[in-house]
Amino acid sequence: MLYVATVRSPSARGSVRSIRFPALPAGYRSILPADIPGRNAMVSFGAEVPILAQDKVSYVGEPVALIAGPDPALLEELAAATKVVCEEEEPFLNWESFSSDQVAAKRVAVVGDPDLAFSIASNVQGEVYTSGAIEHYYSEPQGAAAAYDYDKIAVWCATQWPYHVRDSVALALGCKADEVSVRPTRLGVHLDGKLWYPSLLACHASIASIACGRPAKVLLTREEDFRYTPKRVRSSVSVRAALGKGGELSALDVRIAVNVGAYGPLADEILSQAVIACTGAYACPNLRVEGYAVVTNTPPGGAFGGLGASHTLFAMEAHANRVAMSAGEDPMDWKARNVLRKGSRLLTGELLKEEVPYDAISARLASASDYRRKYAGYELVRKRRSGRSDGPFRGIGLAFAYQGAGPFLSGEASNTYTVEATLDKDLRVRIFTSAAGGAGAVMDIWRRSASGILGVGLESVSIAPPETDQVPDSGPSTLSRNVSVVNRLVARACEAIQKRRFRDPLPLTARAAYRVPKPIKWEGGQVSGSPFDTAAWAGAVLELELDPWTLEPRTLGVWICVDGGHVVAPDRAAAALRSGVADALGACLNERFDPSGGGAGSLDYFRYGLLPLHELPPINVDFVEPERRAPVKGIGELPFDTVPAAFLSALSQAADAAFSSLPVPSARLIGALGGP
Amino acid sequence: MTISFILNGEDVSANARTVDRLSDLLRDAFGLLGLQSDCRCGRCGRCFVFLDGRLVPSCILPAFSVRGKEIVTIEGFAQTEEYRDVVEGFETAGLETCGFCKGPKILAMADLLERVPRPTPREVLAHMSSVPCRCTDPVALVEAARAIVERRAGRIYRRAGQ
Amino acid sequence: MLVSEIHFPKDLAEALELIRRPGILVFAGGTGILREQGGRGISLPGEVLFVREIPELRRTSLTERFLEIGAAVTLSELLELGDSALPPLLAEAARGIGTPAIRNLATLGGNIAARDRFMDSWPALACLDALVELRDRGGATWMNVNRFMGDDGKPAFPEGGLVTRLRVPIERWDAFLLRKVGPSDYPAPETAVFAFAARAEKGILAEARIAFAGDIALRSRSLESSIIGRGLPLSSREAATIAEGYKSLAAALPEGLALQFGVLVDGALGMLSR
Repeated sequence: MLYVATVRSPSARGSVRSIRFPALPAGYRSILPADIPGRNAMVSFGAEVPILAQDKVSYVGEPVALIAGPDPALLEELAAATKVVCEEEEPFLNWESFSSDQVAAKRVAVVGDPDLAFSIASNVQGEVYTSGAIEHYYSEPQGAAAAYDYDKIAVWCATQWPYHVRDSVALALGCKADEVSVRPTRLGVHLDGKLWYPSLLACHASIASIACGRPAKVLLTREEDFRYTPKRVRSSVSVRAALGKGGELSALDVRIAVNVGAYGPLADEILSQAVIACTGAYACPNLRVEGYAVVTNTPPGGAFGGLGASHTLFAMEAHANRVAMSAGEDPMDWKARNVLRKGSRLLTGELLKEEVPYDAISARLASASDYRRKYAGYELVRKRRSGRSDGPFRGIGLAFAYQGAGPFLSGEASNTYTVEATLDKDLRVRIFTSAAGGAGAVMDIWRRSASGILGVGLESVSIAPPETDQVPDSGPSTLSRNVSVVNRLVARACEAIQKRRFRDPLPLTARAAYRVPKPIKWEGGQVSGSPFDTAAWAGAVLELELDPWTLEPRTLGVWICVDGGHVVAPDRAAAALRSGVADALGACLNERFDPSGGGAGSLDYFRYGLLPLHELPPINVDFVEPERRAPVKGIGELPFDTVPAAFLSALSQAADAAFSSLPVPSARLIGALGGP
Repeated sequence: MTISFILNGEDVSANARTVDRLSDLLRDAFGLLGLQSDCRCGRCGRCFVFLDGRLVPSCILPAFSVRGKEIVTIEGFAQTEEYRDVVEGFETAGLETCGFCKGPKILAMADLLERVPRPTPREVLAHMSSVPCRCTDPVALVEAARAIVERRAGRIYRRAGQ
Repeated sequence: MLVSEIHFPKDLAEALELIRRPGILVFAGGTGILREQGGRGISLPGEVLFVREIPELRRTSLTERFLEIGAAVTLSELLELGDSALPPLLAEAARGIGTPAIRNLATLGGNIAARDRFMDSWPALACLDALVELRDRGGATWMNVNRFMGDDGKPAFPEGGLVTRLRVPIERWDAFLLRKVGPSDYPAPETAVFAFAARAEKGILAEARIAFAGDIALRSRSLESSIIGRGLPLSSREAATIAEGYKSLAAALPEGLALQFGVLVDGALGMLSR
């Protein structure tokens, strides 16, 4: 086995003039772009990312060469001693204002007549909400291994998208796709950080393996992973709301800028998701939304707990709360007035066919958290206080949002997925899907589904390892597809077998394929189609207090109430929601770093950490009763869609200040409270 | 240099360079893959071992620093009754992990209960924060600790009654 | 690849012979040394003095007046001495350092001997007027930890010599406060620790000490002297005047830390005003 170290660009933008390796001992070799047998590009959602940057570099840390050899510690020294000389150019780091050269994607949609609505509005309020970069801190740093296996190249990596790995490696090696066999390793918790980047590392490992004629492994250290792999993109969302006399939302003007980093491999999709979600949970008859995915010379940005909706859901919820508070109204009532209802027209022109469970969720939250009384009480304190001695300062915030599951929205990715099932003579069922590799809880849902339909014991149902030469392409494991789309396909394949099993001999195999019924189309300022197969809804209440000694925020409690449709295993779902809330709280309080200088540094890595468990408040999870025959819905993103906005609003109330991004630096918080 | 120490109850020796971390030595020279050399700054817990009975992150232990010491990894600990207590406690509480942090969480929980036989929920969470992971459910951890304490108490009482 | 020479002295005498070697690195728990080395291999200088096993550095002793702690005693072992032996301010500081696993390696000697910034134990030890024994072949010197703070507030740990023991006075304190501030637990420019201790005798403030440290340390004996001797409780005007004095001291700190320091001073003085 050979290990592979990465030689990286020291410059954010420029041209590579030379790469000078130190003297490499016997058994070590360098690998340059010219050594790539196929194409020097990994394609993701229409964007091309160089496997090794050849002439131009686009971010600090971009791979420009590899060194392969037997000792990983020595390899690290050799890579560090390699001198990469670039002729530097001024990097594009601005993204909240940007040049047209930097636009990787643009989405515009207009509904109704927003200009008219704004001109006659009783009240117009605007604010800009920003969301920062977050590190996934997934279960394992990224890496890949490759080796010849008879007539194929076998590739091992933890990936949400095995077929993307396969196709990327085939392109890089200039071979046929079926000459590559991807064997996914354990994925653990990924938070959408392993969608496309594993494919790049798989290309590195494969190229090294071919060049050296031996198995090769590239394994990033946690620090490398932190500094150079995709983080959650940063966003700036400007929300301007027009309101009628009675506080009804009559129009929204939303401008979105998403910093997608270099190349923008998910730019279109992230932006599309953010734009579709820009009105949040609210009915809005008049809308103008303009969104830009902006490329900068920082490491490529990525998805985090969803593909982009959380940015605008955060902004819309925070703004709704601010509008209500400034009008002296309880946000719970404001939301009740403006929330989507069955029959509301969506951004896509479709009418909402389902009830939105706002009333049920808000009632349960109000009861569990005593929200109404606390909100009123803290408002009274906020309005009457004269100084710091009037503390302790408390606040309570409410947020309501949804999580959509289903297709990609950008039109770039294939939305075709296939699942296969086989019932053999021993009445054992095997399920074949490239999506197997995610959460065990979701695979249990598939097994239960198969077991129920075919009338076999759960122990007789197994899921085949998702090796690409053994399973069909079920698309990437994201957007809750595994629990919605793949789950339905498993059921359909089993139903097809069930129909035939008593007339046709065993073994029987059936395939079920899915195509998006109404793909999203963006044309001339209009968007049409069905963005989601299913949508789960949640409300979150968060109560906090400012520490009397340090004025730092301390969360006192979080209540989250979810309509997740048919929740197959409520205990497991509740556990997943609690850990999701803990992660969302980390993003509100202490998970921060600022890559605006061109990328994350070592100190950013050492500083970064999850919220200690003993600093978590009690987290209360509740589920509303589902509708009859409700489908299984994805709920994992709901904490990120709700908790940050609830936190921001609670903090704004506690400090009597209008905050618009998280975390809030202590200097700002103390300053808002009148200083020491 | 040659480092001699006791590993999972056996006397062993290995060649180590001064640049080598104990975590990498245990994985590479002894094939003990139950720990991972992940963060390399002692904060993630994936490399936990017991050093003379104390829970430590082996990624910030130079290999040379353990000569003459006793090291127990998750593989060695898995042979003990305490391990079974913890695993049963996790199962009783329905504590699920992503798989990567399970071994470290077992060691951390065992270490806690060795030092604090009846920990409060806050003590459990403070101690288990040494294995930060996105998969962690705080309620299940506290429940697991309670279940392990009960299981141990039951065994002690049964033995006393024999 | 640099190969370091590791010395394993079996006793203090042997260590004191070796400490004279230029550039030799003292390695006890190693948590400070390896805290910011995220690469595969460990980077150490040419010579390393491994002191963790030296018996003289591993002892603790308690008298009526002092607690003496060997420099290689780990923070976990320190905490296991228990509340009856350990001054609460020091216990609070030790409990806030790292995780339980890190505390099984980290030593108090290593924590106090950091060169690039003041680590978390310094403010508590400074408030307690702890002493550090530094030894070389020529003999031993006891130094108050407050002397590790330079005139500019930056760390000024004396070069040469080996930290062997710490001596912490055992005194009664009627009020104390220890708080870590900053966005994360990690030692960084935006984090620091605040320590406060006060003692009253017959309604008069007999002692009041405030120390704050991260990259830079703050402690002012003259401000403390101006507080001592006042009747308790302090009036709000007295507290405000004293607080102003402290806030001007904090001008050298980054804005966020200066504000947090000010808030904590207000809180500490508030304890004396009730």
